[in-house]
Amino acid sequence: MRSIRHHLALVLPLFAILFSIEYLLVFDRITDNYEKRLKENYSVILVADKSVKLSDISHSDTLIESVEPVDTETVLKRIKGSMNEESLEKIKEVMPLFISVKLRRYAESGRMERLKRELLSIKGVRDVHIFEKVHDRLYAMLLFMKTNFYLFGLFLGVISFLLMVKQMTIWQFEHKERMQIMALFGAPVWLRSGVLFRLAIVDAFLALAAVVAAMIYLVTDSKVESIVKSMGADPSLLLHFNDLAVLAAASFSIALFAAAWVVIRFKEEQ
Amino acid sequence: MRNVIEAESLKLAYPRHEAVIKSATFQIHTGEFVFVTGASGSGKSTLLKSMYGSMPISGGKLQVGGIDMNSISGSKLYKLRRHIGVIFQDYKLIKEWNVEKNVMLPLIIAGFPKDVCRAQARKLLAHVKLSHKSDKYPLELSGGEQQRVAMARALAHNPFLILADEPTGNLDDYSSRVVWDLLERANEELETTIVVVTHNIPDIFSADYRHLMIEGGAIYEIH
Repeated sequence: MRSIRHHLALVLPLFAILFSIEYLLVFDRITDNYEKRLKENYSVILVADKSVKLSDISHSDTLIESVEPVDTETVLKRIKGSMNEESLEKIKEVMPLFISVKLRRYAESGRMERLKRELLSIKGVRDVHIFEKVHDRLYAMLLFMKTNFYLFGLFLGVISFLLMVKQMTIWQFEHKERMQIMALFGAPVWLRSGVLFRLAIVDAFLALAAVVAAMIYLVTDSKVESIVKSMGADPSLLLHFNDLAVLAAASFSIALFAAAWVVIRFKEEQ
Repeated sequence: MRNVIEAESLKLAYPRHEAVIKSATFQIHTGEFVFVTGASGSGKSTLLKSMYGSMPISGGKLQVGGIDMNSISGSKLYKLRRHIGVIFQDYKLIKEWNVEKNVMLPLIIAGFPKDVCRAQARKLLAHVKLSHKSDKYPLELSGGEQQRVAMARALAHNPFLILADEPTGNLDDYSSRVVWDLLERANEELETTIVVVTHNIPDIFSADYRHLMIEGGAIYEIH
């Protein structure tokens, strides 16, 4: 019973920290993925004089990834039947240049307004049309949740770390006597602190296994899956193999740091 | 005869306190059995602590086993301790370990294989008449039994020096007898140097052992 309590005292805060890390990783992936899709849904078309330089447009704003003139031949072909060659040539002459602008990332409406103003200030640009699907509200909500989750994760991390420090102090107290006795008989550091490090490794492994089990449970849960799908995100974003490496590194380094902290603070009694 | 312990104008003081030992000069030779006596608070235990490196030297010189304790490094100190047996009044047994493993401690530290450690522990437990309690944990034993386990542990690695701090202070007559008997045998048969700090020298001793007394921060040779 005492041994279970010993383990839980470190495993639980460690579990909380790892779970926060995993949630932040998942949230990051979902919002990144959403941003990518939003960017693809944007369509910015410039109407400009034929004299305009494409390089002026592409260098006008850091948000712009590429610019490409829109092929007008297909539009003209469509109306070709209803008019004669002469009229078509005249239209071609007076027709402005249409330029498609691709963006690097999704930007909120305020930033898009700024982009529009900058594009309009370029000599030769007559008009700028931004076609967008309305995603702003959901995206704003995601960003809000992400910020809140970062804050919550930070808060949880601090609380969990304080709990771990408390547990380390208890460890120090519990192991001090044994370490003192071993030191009196000349035990090297690795031998007298071996139990502590073994305990830390076992607890790190237990916390890691618990988080992975919890994430697998969540990923396979149909409710969670439908929520993720309703957001238009891919449920496979929930669990990545790379996360395991991040969580394992976090778990073992935190637990070993805790053990090392106790060992470093060990002082022989006089 | 080689000096196992050599002190010259030794001064021992706790931080922000007056020196407990102001100036002590003495030598203890190989194979000697020495009693160090003195009133409570006279500095007997402090002197013993300085011999196993648990008390920093404030002045003068102290050598144990030819090693200068003034400038000894951490790793050298641990190496030295692996050749010293220490017995404490409060036994200092590891509560989470059973009796046998407690006796095995100095051998585990020295890096002996487990079966060698176990065989030696069993032999010593038989000497202290505790073979039947090898699986018990310290808190399941009486004070006398715990001290006999501590005694077996101190002898496990055949140390060249045994330092005992009031080893029979809390013991009944039988356990005291076992402890003294084992110390005498180790001294006679193995030529182990023994330094015992005690309040009074028990009158059970057949031999006339050397006696040092601490008084007023100085150390005196009685006989």
